[in-house]
Amino acid sequence: MSTDVIMPQMGESIAEGTVTKWLKQVGDGVKRDEPLFEISTDKVDAEIPAPAEGVLLEIIVNEGETVPINTVVARIGAEGEVPSKETPSTPEPAGAAQPEPTPTPTAPVAPIVPVTPATAAPEPVTAPPPVAEGPAEQRPVKSSPVVRKIAEEHGVDISLVEGTGAGGRVTKKDIMEYIEQSKMPTAGAAPGPLQTPVASVAPPAPGVSPPPSPAPQISFPAGEREAREKMSIMRKKIAEHMIRSRKTSAHVQTWQECDMSNVMKRRDALKEQFEREGVNLTYTAFIAEAVVRSLLAYPSVNASLEGEDTIVYHKDVNLGIAVALDWGLIVPVVKQAQQMNLLGLSTAINDLAERARTKRLSVDDVQGGTFTITNPGVFGSLMGAPIINQPQVAILGVGVIKKRPVVIDDAIAIRPIMYLSLSFDHRLIDGAGAAKYLAHVVNELERPV
Amino acid sequence: MKEFQLVIIGSGPGGYVSAIRAGILGIKTALVEKDPFLGGTCLHRGCIPTKALLHTAYLYDEFKHAADHGLEAGSLSVNFAKVHKRKTVIVRKLSKGIEYLMKKRKVEVFTGKGVVFDANTVSVAGADGEERIRGDYVILATGSTPSQLPTIVPDHKTILDSDDILALETIPKSLAVIGAGAVGVEFASIFNSFGSDVSIIELLPRVVPLEDEEVSQTLEKSFNKKGIKTYTSSQVTSIDSTSGGAKLKVDTQGEETELETEKVLLSVGRRPLTDGIGLDSVGIQTDDRGYVQVNEYMQTNVPHVYAIGDIVRTPWLAHVASAEGILSVDHLSGKPVEPIDYNKTPSCTYCSPEVASVGLTEKEAAERGYTVKTGRFPFSAIGKAMILGEPEGFVKIISDEKYGEVLGVHIMGPKATELIAEACVGLRLETTVEEIFKTVHAHPTLSEAMLEAAHNVYGEAIHI
Repeated sequence: MSTDVIMPQMGESIAEGTVTKWLKQVGDGVKRDEPLFEISTDKVDAEIPAPAEGVLLEIIVNEGETVPINTVVARIGAEGEVPSKETPSTPEPAGAAQPEPTPTPTAPVAPIVPVTPATAAPEPVTAPPPVAEGPAEQRPVKSSPVVRKIAEEHGVDISLVEGTGAGGRVTKKDIMEYIEQSKMPTAGAAPGPLQTPVASVAPPAPGVSPPPSPAPQISFPAGEREAREKMSIMRKKIAEHMIRSRKTSAHVQTWQECDMSNVMKRRDALKEQFEREGVNLTYTAFIAEAVVRSLLAYPSVNASLEGEDTIVYHKDVNLGIAVALDWGLIVPVVKQAQQMNLLGLSTAINDLAERARTKRLSVDDVQGGTFTITNPGVFGSLMGAPIINQPQVAILGVGVIKKRPVVIDDAIAIRPIMYLSLSFDHRLIDGAGAAKYLAHVVNELERPV
Repeated sequence: MKEFQLVIIGSGPGGYVSAIRAGILGIKTALVEKDPFLGGTCLHRGCIPTKALLHTAYLYDEFKHAADHGLEAGSLSVNFAKVHKRKTVIVRKLSKGIEYLMKKRKVEVFTGKGVVFDANTVSVAGADGEERIRGDYVILATGSTPSQLPTIVPDHKTILDSDDILALETIPKSLAVIGAGAVGVEFASIFNSFGSDVSIIELLPRVVPLEDEEVSQTLEKSFNKKGIKTYTSSQVTSIDSTSGGAKLKVDTQGEETELETEKVLLSVGRRPLTDGIGLDSVGIQTDDRGYVQVNEYMQTNVPHVYAIGDIVRTPWLAHVASAEGILSVDHLSGKPVEPIDYNKTPSCTYCSPEVASVGLTEKEAAERGYTVKTGRFPFSAIGKAMILGEPEGFVKIISDEKYGEVLGVHIMGPKATELIAEACVGLRLETTVEEIFKTVHAHPTLSEAMLEAAHNVYGEAIHI
């Protein structure tokens, strides 16, 4: 008896999904809940776990094919078992209950079950699921045992972390900085495309631009001077969205500079306390806090346009945070951010960014945003001119924090400076309003400790 | 004026190791030492002579139990003069060894007190007058000297410091040790073995107060069993000299005890020797307690002047000074360097039984927000410890529950100071508990206690 693997329903409004990658091949053994294949839908990309343990008997829907939800895409069974062809591979009638995946009792030898409850010895280390584009060419990398544990838990490919230890060894400090760094929302223009894989960004110290990271490898067919490939679904969606936004909104940009000294002080003071809570306190959380407070003061920035002439003001601040992925970009949304304090915002942002990178966002996570923050500064950019995330009316671009000489009371001082840009829709917001809003954000960030 | 690329002041384990490292890198180096012998406190008044005495005391203890092994050796007595002589021979030999290494590495040695004269000049006040030498870089490694208390000052006859006690010609009938840090408990052990009636008085609530609490508690019990009287949370309120030595009043949280003792050892830490070495001449900054302020590469605020060892506010340990010396020489020569992680430098106390540790204590780990999981294993269940007749003590591993990272290892027991090396490598490599228990440890060895303690982090020790 085999178990059917179906195209899951990722959200209410989702009718179909595309298989983008099979992580197992026919004949491979799979464990229950082990990632089996990746899908892409209108809203999110996701990694789908195996519903049962056994051997992948048959792949019915190949990579690149789009099928309605509940379509059987593969079968899992015991080794040597012949896939039961009689099961229809067509979508089940609408309204039919989704079949509960049942594990197949095919293990030849029952594992020894301890008579007394087992103590908590660590599970044998299994290889972390590939995060980005499959196992690919992994360069051998030196790391420490604790780094490998951390990488496993966070789904980090260690070969992408820059090692500062002896002989380039990846140390705990390196991976923790890497994880902290990649938790910061990142993007050039939200939700615009991003050429740089987020993963190869070196851990930047404030004021230090990360070195340029290598662009993704393109394999050229032998003898060819060009290579062609189909856009991913995500890429197509981004492209459509960008063009639509350009056509829809009257984009204007304004920039202001912000002295981050006080934020740094607050962060230093709170960091350990947050760590004890298990929360990594990033600069993004402070920026989000300032943005939310300022949106409450300027409702026209937390708004959208309906049709040609109706302004919709939002009571809730649903804050979109652009997250750069190796395979594109996504903007998960912190819902009702106005109700959260710094700890709440940090937790929510870190959680969304982490789930974005591990393809565990739900459709709900990416809908309903009222304003967006994007942070090209992570990659060293001084400032960005982001494209508005429709149907919103403004987006904040965060530049790199860099020490600069500034004049304070007619004396030259060294201060960590960050440029903030606001792209706004001039249909609704005028230059003065945009500048006042941005100044409010800056004031919030510069507020004395 | 003789010119060098590097001038080092002080030839202790900080200074002489720096000099050798510089020689290896081909740096033209001068080493300035005020004493007639090279090696500093470690070799002449610290690590080496005390450990020589400790080993003799250890053997004496063993011989006392010779009959348990079926060895009938007749009467046993201590010839303290010979004990000293052996110690002196070892020290001389090692000092000659350093002289040889200086020659081998082409380091020029200047004997005399080295003082920073100006930014690139060191004056050496030797027996034949003052000589000035020039250095592109200077490393200050002038070390430390025993601290005193405001109320108790050594008279060097009855009230001794650690320098004096090493020169004692006879074994005192009784000894009161003030301060239960490493130095205090080591001398307490030595003279307890040699038959002195030893008391130890500590201001803080436990002996070896920098170690894990469990270690302190177990060591105190062990001391008490051997007849060493311990007074913790206690203070000496007065010392009066008597015909036979001194009379001490000890206040233990309001309760007063009187101690009659032949000798008193004041071992309340050390203070940096930074007076009169010319820090002011170039404006080198010190902190409120006289330590030279340095960055993570041991540079003072005058960037070509480095300071290492006991004159900076890092642990007072010879191996730390040596590591700081190598770091500073590598740094000034432009080699890639990595700051020292002081959380991962071992600390060893050679009392009996020995105490050694590296990394965080259970309390420190909890304070840093880790969810702490500990594994403990007693030497009483280790075959080799039984064979040695030293079943006292344990290995305790402090780990982080989340990733299984080993955060600290604490050992009390036989050869603890040797066994800690495995833990030092482990911490340096950021090991998890799993790596330790999956490492096959030889049998029968004391190191099996480490293996078992690692298993026991998950409650799965084999032999208990």
